[in-house]
Amino acid sequence: MEKNSEGQVIVVTSGKGGVGKTTTVANVSSALARLGYKVVVMDLDIGLKKLDLVLGLENRVIYDIVQVIEGECTLKQALVKDKRFPHLFMLPAAQTRNKDEITPEQVKQLCKQLQEEFEYVFIDCPAGIEQGFRNAIAAANSAIVVTNPEVSAVRDADRIIGMLESNNFKDIKLVINRLQNDMVEAGDMLSINDLTEHLCIDLLGVVPEDKNVVISTNRGEPIILNEKADASPAFNNIARRITGEEVEFLTFEDPSFWHKLKRSLFPGR
Amino acid sequence: MLDFLEKLFSRDDSSSRQKANDRLRLVLTHDRLGTSEKLMETLKEEIINVIMSHVEVDGKPEVNIIKEGRRSALDISIPLKGR
Repeated sequence: MEKNSEGQVIVVTSGKGGVGKTTTVANVSSALARLGYKVVVMDLDIGLKKLDLVLGLENRVIYDIVQVIEGECTLKQALVKDKRFPHLFMLPAAQTRNKDEITPEQVKQLCKQLQEEFEYVFIDCPAGIEQGFRNAIAAANSAIVVTNPEVSAVRDADRIIGMLESNNFKDIKLVINRLQNDMVEAGDMLSINDLTEHLCIDLLGVVPEDKNVVISTNRGEPIILNEKADASPAFNNIARRITGEEVEFLTFEDPSFWHKLKRSLFPGR
Repeated sequence: MLDFLEKLFSRDDSSSRQKANDRLRLVLTHDRLGTSEKLMETLKEEIINVIMSHVEVDGKPEVNIIKEGRRSALDISIPLKGR
């Protein structure tokens, strides 16, 4: 994923709810803004909005995306500026409306305007494969699929990847969230390798299970502001990889580590 | 010592991780193709029957789904009896 003269539109999706889409959007976009990029996040989970709360911007929301589309306000008026990261803006979802009140065409139009001003446009996609999903993928040129190392999340991720492929997405990358390395080693959790083998897409990053995420979210602060949290470097690395930088995988997130070790111990196998 | 290491690094067939992988492999294949285990059994039976109605089969015929990346193919291997 590289920087173009026109901003890149990235949809963050998962199929299953609760895997950490909004947390990923909030932290990766904050990290990119901290690196100096102009970033806007668009919450398309109309009727079930969360991004404003996770980012701690809920008290600053005045207008929402549906009001922009219906011409009640301008796009500029609806954008909420994040005071902690001067380059980060959010376009809030509407809470009292429905996902079928906007169309993929309208989302495309909005993204076109945002792309002129921002280097990265992130779309927080609602769970599911219905209208909300179709709206969210309409304008994107690349996709990040977030999953957990659990069978149900992987199955939904696979379905989403299939749908993205049939919508001609060429750039689909995987983020594994909430990995517990000790459980993997004990043979009680799917590993990074297991997931990339099942889903057959490139890995963008691995975020370890981290209690600090709950604490940060309680406070409405991105976890990347907590330098001591395990999840913090993971989200920062994802942001840097999105800019095209080659960032080595952390030891626990190295998909080839165990494989290499196994091979060096048992060369003949 | 080597035995111990081998045990440590080899996949334990009964682990819940292994079980999850086995179940996912099956379910994802059928999800992608819109098929089911039952349909595959029927397909297998019918393919073998068609062949057997024309030529004599020798040994154990096999019909399997093979995967390459996200794509699948039907792999049919039916040994035929020579004269």
